[in-house]
Amino acid sequence: MRRVEQREEEKVAAKPINRREFVRRGSLYGAGILIGLNTPRPKAAQAAAESVEPAILTKHEWETLDALTGRIIPADEDPGAREANCVNFIDKALAHEDAAALPLYQGGLAALDGVAMARFEVRFVGLESAQQDEILAALERGTAKEWALSKELPSPMFFETVRIHTIVGFLADPSYGGNRDFSGWKVAGYPGPRHRRGGYTPEQVEGQAPIVPVWDLAR
Amino acid sequence: MATDGQREYDVCVIGTGAGGGVMIDQLTAAGFDVVALERGGRVGPVDFDDDELRNSIRDEVFSPHQLETYRFDDTSESQTGRHSHIAHCVGGTITHWAAWAWRFQPDDFRVLSKEGPVAGASLADWPISYEELEPFYTKAESDFGVAGDHTSNPFGAPQKAALPNPRHPERVSAKRFAAGARKLGYHPFPVPMAINSRPYGGRPRCMYGGACRAYGCPIHAKATTLSVSLPRATATGRLDLRPNAMVFELPLDTKGKVTGARYLDEKGKTHEVRAKQTIIACGSIGTPQLLLMSKSGSFPEGLANGSGLVGKNLTFHHHPSAIGVMDEDLRAYTGFETHAAFDDLHASDPKRGFIRGGVIAELNTFTHQPIAYTAAVSDDLAFGARWGAGLKDRIRAFPRILLIALIGEELPMESSRVDLDPEVRDRFGFPVPRVTKHHHPNDIAMDNWYEKKLLEVVEAAGGKGVRPGRGDGLHISSTQAQRGNAHNHGTARMGKDPSKSVVDANCRSHEVPNLWIVDGSFMPTSSGYNPTLTILANAYRVADHFIREARRQSL
Repeated sequence: MRRVEQREEEKVAAKPINRREFVRRGSLYGAGILIGLNTPRPKAAQAAAESVEPAILTKHEWETLDALTGRIIPADEDPGAREANCVNFIDKALAHEDAAALPLYQGGLAALDGVAMARFEVRFVGLESAQQDEILAALERGTAKEWALSKELPSPMFFETVRIHTIVGFLADPSYGGNRDFSGWKVAGYPGPRHRRGGYTPEQVEGQAPIVPVWDLAR
Repeated sequence: MATDGQREYDVCVIGTGAGGGVMIDQLTAAGFDVVALERGGRVGPVDFDDDELRNSIRDEVFSPHQLETYRFDDTSESQTGRHSHIAHCVGGTITHWAAWAWRFQPDDFRVLSKEGPVAGASLADWPISYEELEPFYTKAESDFGVAGDHTSNPFGAPQKAALPNPRHPERVSAKRFAAGARKLGYHPFPVPMAINSRPYGGRPRCMYGGACRAYGCPIHAKATTLSVSLPRATATGRLDLRPNAMVFELPLDTKGKVTGARYLDEKGKTHEVRAKQTIIACGSIGTPQLLLMSKSGSFPEGLANGSGLVGKNLTFHHHPSAIGVMDEDLRAYTGFETHAAFDDLHASDPKRGFIRGGVIAELNTFTHQPIAYTAAVSDDLAFGARWGAGLKDRIRAFPRILLIALIGEELPMESSRVDLDPEVRDRFGFPVPRVTKHHHPNDIAMDNWYEKKLLEVVEAAGGKGVRPGRGDGLHISSTQAQRGNAHNHGTARMGKDPSKSVVDANCRSHEVPNLWIVDGSFMPTSSGYNPTLTILANAYRVADHFIREARRQSL
């Protein structure tokens, strides 16, 4: 059973986002969890269960964001953020509990294309990986002079938001729309949560018996 | 305002966590009629899944309305947020505790006598000794089913009775940690845990699901007031438990006694209950908040605050840590937070350049959950790249990370404190607690010294890429030890001298004769062990005194 009690932060989030508020709310989560956003809960999870088509992003925004997440957690011999469908996780969040952050994404993705056009005369999705990485590095450091939103939305804030959202989409429960086919958990070597599946035996704790991941347990 | 007619309860207990829950249990068992007021709502096993996003990242389960401000010192700007790792719910913070259940050492009760005065610190002796608390430690261990081997720590407190339950399995991470510690000549042992290692007290054996600290137990194998104390109290028929009751004032009668409590319910409606005795157990943040809000003509600086010490001497613990990558799956996602520790380096030794110390343990604080781990290693810990191939490699290292840390004693300072925020209000319009927390030079020196020792242990265990569990160039101020902590103590310290303490040796206010404080705020010093077993034991001790005095009709 999920508790759907509305939190104070959600009421705050209903207002247009501004930098000061963003930073204040970001600081709610210490120890590195810099999420200035509401992470998706029942509505987004439900939406993710119903569709993997864009719910709120345009097709181009979806493709741009998909490419961006793919550079944050790239595919190699193992799946990356694109294979885990992190963009779907973010889209469903932005369509529901994270609606307040939609302007941040819309503006940021357009500004990202602006940087790509200024540097390479091609939109971000059309760039080579190395060119995309060059732009990301500049956004992370705040050194992209071509970034059009330097006052409203400093590029490091946009980058960090997408970065954390991508990590969460990669490693949160698949019901939220990312971590497709448990790909994130498989990369991490994390066998999945166990509170609802009987936990582990003492022999498993001690390393004397194999661990069966949740995706191999009887559903 | 709704009142309960003319009814006067024997006792009003505010807060249902470790201190309040034990009082509620013991007093109802002794025949007292108790009304318990809890600011949080009811939660239970049905709410206790282990979805990391919902529980750990967003912390939605336990404290949806918790709000406080933090600032480093009097000159810094405060940050609004949820900094303290506490729970507002029926059962209090112990509902999501990690259940480390060791006793303090005898010398933790006389820090001032042992160490002498230290400039800038407000060291104090406790008005009770270890020997006085010892039988109540035994009682707490018995009721909460502590599992372990009391003979296994050669540096532990002297203990007469064996623990009621055998030790738990040794997690792979604990075996590797212990091997490293032994190589350096230390004496690792299984941490005593208030978690069932076999069916006990009507509760089942632990299922070793990994998500324990900061999570509720879905089967009540973890001993909490929710699983142990409150069910017993409810069964007596003498408990009137009221969730979602935000107490904001403790009214006084003309004789200077507290008449009970005034609170708002969830809809903002005011209620008043009357009781002969009132016991505050709102935690070291909530208790000073309530006392400071209860201003009156006789107590213009807050109730029971003639000493001016309500809210002062807030201590956390220091947690310098070290991590390294091992060559196998350590299974830190199984079991519970810690499976092993060693205590060889705990004893105070001024030759190190600081006093006091702490216990060192392996733990899975963020290594059992992949989001928190990845965010931590790519941000705070600066342990690998923040994105790209480097981040991917760090994600893949998740099951092989060995994490160890110190539970380090902080020195109390009056300037580290809780007061009422002058601006920020909660959803009811009450001032939120403001935490001002900084560090004594002794704390910094302790951190530096222990960090080197921790790195040696991870190296000896075979860790690669061994490094401190904190960011480059950052100090303890970068960790949760600064803004908030799971271990909060000291904001209503006990003592014999009413000018130097808030409550007496029985945790009774020096100034208001029918007011008691039984959460962790009574602790004058914090020890280098997790505090909860001591909060429980102390509450059993206070209850024992309370009942004897009440029967002599001398309360």
